[in-house]
Amino acid sequence: MSPSAHNTTSQIAPFRRPASEVMHLERMGCSHPTRLSFLRTMLRRLHRENWKVDRPVWDVDATGSGHAVYRTRCGERTYSLVAFAHDLPEGMRSDRVIATAWDATFTLFDGEPTQADIDRLRDNVPLQEAGRISTRELTLARANRSVRLFHHVVDALSQGRQPDPAEIADIGYLMRTTAVYGSGKFGAADRSDIADRPELAAPFQVEMLTVWLIRAFTVDIVEHMAVVKGGDRAVRLDRDLRRTLGVGNSTGLGMAPFIVRHPVLLNNWMMAREEALARVRAQASATQPAIAGLRVALDAATQNANVWTSQHPVQVPKLAALRDDLRLLSKTVDTWDFDQPLPWDALWCWSTDALSFEGQEALLSIMLEPHGDLVDDLADCMAADEAPSFRIDGAMRVRDVRAILKENYGWALSIDFSTPENTARFWYVSEEKLEPRLGERANEDGATLEQPLCIARLASELDETLQDHDGEEPVAAVLLAHPEHRYMVRRVQIAQNHPFAEVHDNLIAAAMLPIDLLRCKLSFFGATRFDPRSDRWVRINLFQGAPFPDEIEQEGLQ
Amino acid sequence: MTTAPHDQTRGDSTPYIEDGASAFLSRNEVASLCMKAARGAGMSWGLAEEAGFAAAWLVQHGINGPSHLYAHLDQAQGRPWSDLCPTVTPGAWQAPVGRALCPIALGATLCDYAGLPESIQAGSSLKIGKVDHPILLIPFLAAIAVSQNILFDIAWAGGAAYLDGGSEALLKAAAALDGQQVPITLTASCGNPQVASAGKLPSISADVISALNTLAMRTTVPSSESSRAGAGSTTSDND
Repeated sequence: MSPSAHNTTSQIAPFRRPASEVMHLERMGCSHPTRLSFLRTMLRRLHRENWKVDRPVWDVDATGSGHAVYRTRCGERTYSLVAFAHDLPEGMRSDRVIATAWDATFTLFDGEPTQADIDRLRDNVPLQEAGRISTRELTLARANRSVRLFHHVVDALSQGRQPDPAEIADIGYLMRTTAVYGSGKFGAADRSDIADRPELAAPFQVEMLTVWLIRAFTVDIVEHMAVVKGGDRAVRLDRDLRRTLGVGNSTGLGMAPFIVRHPVLLNNWMMAREEALARVRAQASATQPAIAGLRVALDAATQNANVWTSQHPVQVPKLAALRDDLRLLSKTVDTWDFDQPLPWDALWCWSTDALSFEGQEALLSIMLEPHGDLVDDLADCMAADEAPSFRIDGAMRVRDVRAILKENYGWALSIDFSTPENTARFWYVSEEKLEPRLGERANEDGATLEQPLCIARLASELDETLQDHDGEEPVAAVLLAHPEHRYMVRRVQIAQNHPFAEVHDNLIAAAMLPIDLLRCKLSFFGATRFDPRSDRWVRINLFQGAPFPDEIEQEGLQ
Repeated sequence: MTTAPHDQTRGDSTPYIEDGASAFLSRNEVASLCMKAARGAGMSWGLAEEAGFAAAWLVQHGINGPSHLYAHLDQAQGRPWSDLCPTVTPGAWQAPVGRALCPIALGATLCDYAGLPESIQAGSSLKIGKVDHPILLIPFLAAIAVSQNILFDIAWAGGAAYLDGGSEALLKAAAALDGQQVPITLTASCGNPQVASAGKLPSISADVISALNTLAMRTTVPSSESSRAGAGSTTSDND
């Protein structure tokens, strides 16, 4: 379908879900990756623009120590992943951000590194947080082996045979990253320095490129170790098996505050996804290729749900519900009347009664899949220049601020913050490790040092203060008397024009699950196999099933 | 707090810049460190964000914002808001008796009042009581200049500067305002400010980074066994 055949904005409007439906943790915690997820956007571009990827340097010794360079070239620019491989003693392996050594460390270099650059990076990148990088570097990352799978694959390949596909399916990756830092961390280039490059304009593109190249490294290092161990007997990993490997990732609470601290960004992600769903629902009819594409996507989702495992008490019933939902969806699609008016909307409306949130959000992803022509341009709307919304409009009248509060924060103003369960938690930063944590207000110290992530309560307190001010008064005067409300006034003014900027739930409530925030963010990255290891710590997989660098030219994982 | 040598366990590397060394911090690092330090020195979260904005803006334009911010925070920390914020009346904003205004509070308030009758309009002047480290006002004045299409003159006893948006005027103004604590008069004239080009990234000394870190650490909570236990996976990572 050509863009000119798209429905107009006014025709699409009735099919948009309101923020009040979308922005609840219970639903956000059921998010699935879609074709608008950032790793998909990146892979499409690599394929479309025919990026060339090679590995000009592989300097790794028999202990598995050394370095490698992976080079990606697009038009005028080159980005190089510099990988340092380490021989890490077992006892030092931890996924926490607070670990002190890793199996491999990485940086994405802006251009092609010289020997002097490599020498400088070798002195810093393996130290991670204790080192410094420069504006020539775009990311800093590290990864640990999945000990079990890594050994299994090295052993098998070294003996001239392929590893057990069941073992590979069970774990899904040879290494998992435990942090991928960008945006000026540790001296790296600031986001605003690179955001005007078309290939990096979408969110988290340098981070995604880093992880995709790390994935190639994980296979190269395992094949290298197999040759070290088996010599001439060693074989390379079968390419179909290789395809099923992604990169694991362990993520904790540190990621949760991000989507709260970046309301414009969250809004743009959500709005783009919701607009995509609305565009699909608004179509008057269904084409045969789109119906066939839906079935392919549904089969892929079913397959993914079958290999997706978790032991966590929250995730286990959700996975069971998802599998039931996908079975029901599959049966329903088999007999669905796609000749009825608005067939996609009808299918969507059926799902809202028939499926759990897991199934509904999976269907969203499945319905977008065959509609790339209709929705892929929305990927260009997901970045955010946050600077313009920083400045407060002090001339805004108190009554107008209160009107926004009523309109956009009704969910917050209705919460009773005098009850212990509604203020049970507090977010803080630990002195020891400088990482965000969640404390229990009743029995842990430190609530006086609470981070401003308790948005609902801040909105409620602002509204209470504003009740004592004349409606005609400019908010500038209120802020002069009450500097403590400055943080929230800024957010309220952002929310006025960004309806999806806020999570419509109390982030300090006793029942709040941080993993719901993590799942939402990770699904926008494109993460699969979301596997909570506690209520605030998860493992996921990135790029599983995606092409490798030597395959991207042929196929782009559309 | 124990920090073993090469304990790479913290979310930022600035604590490792030490022993008289200096470092180029990214704007994101400057904004983040200065925001936390300002909060640690007693600013509200929203005002601390303004401190981060101001320091990062100065760094972007080649001026050592973190150093100036620390100099201000060091003398202002712990003072109540009423000792730091201006009393706003048309044509004249007063400082508390015997005190100097916080340039972050003043700058943010000037931005809030931009376009309102109490604030400065093109073709008028605004007298402002004693301001501490007025160099930190520049980022706020630059924001107002762009939003209101005005150019600023700044005058004080024994000195003057102007801001036309250009780099040359900016660096001159920064040099003249460095280290001052004076009452100032702002005069606004109609005009379109130039867009200042980015300056050479200033190197930030280990002393300033360390001092800001010390303030920033006041926003953190000492660890307990329960907080450590809840932070990570409940199962082994060595699998």
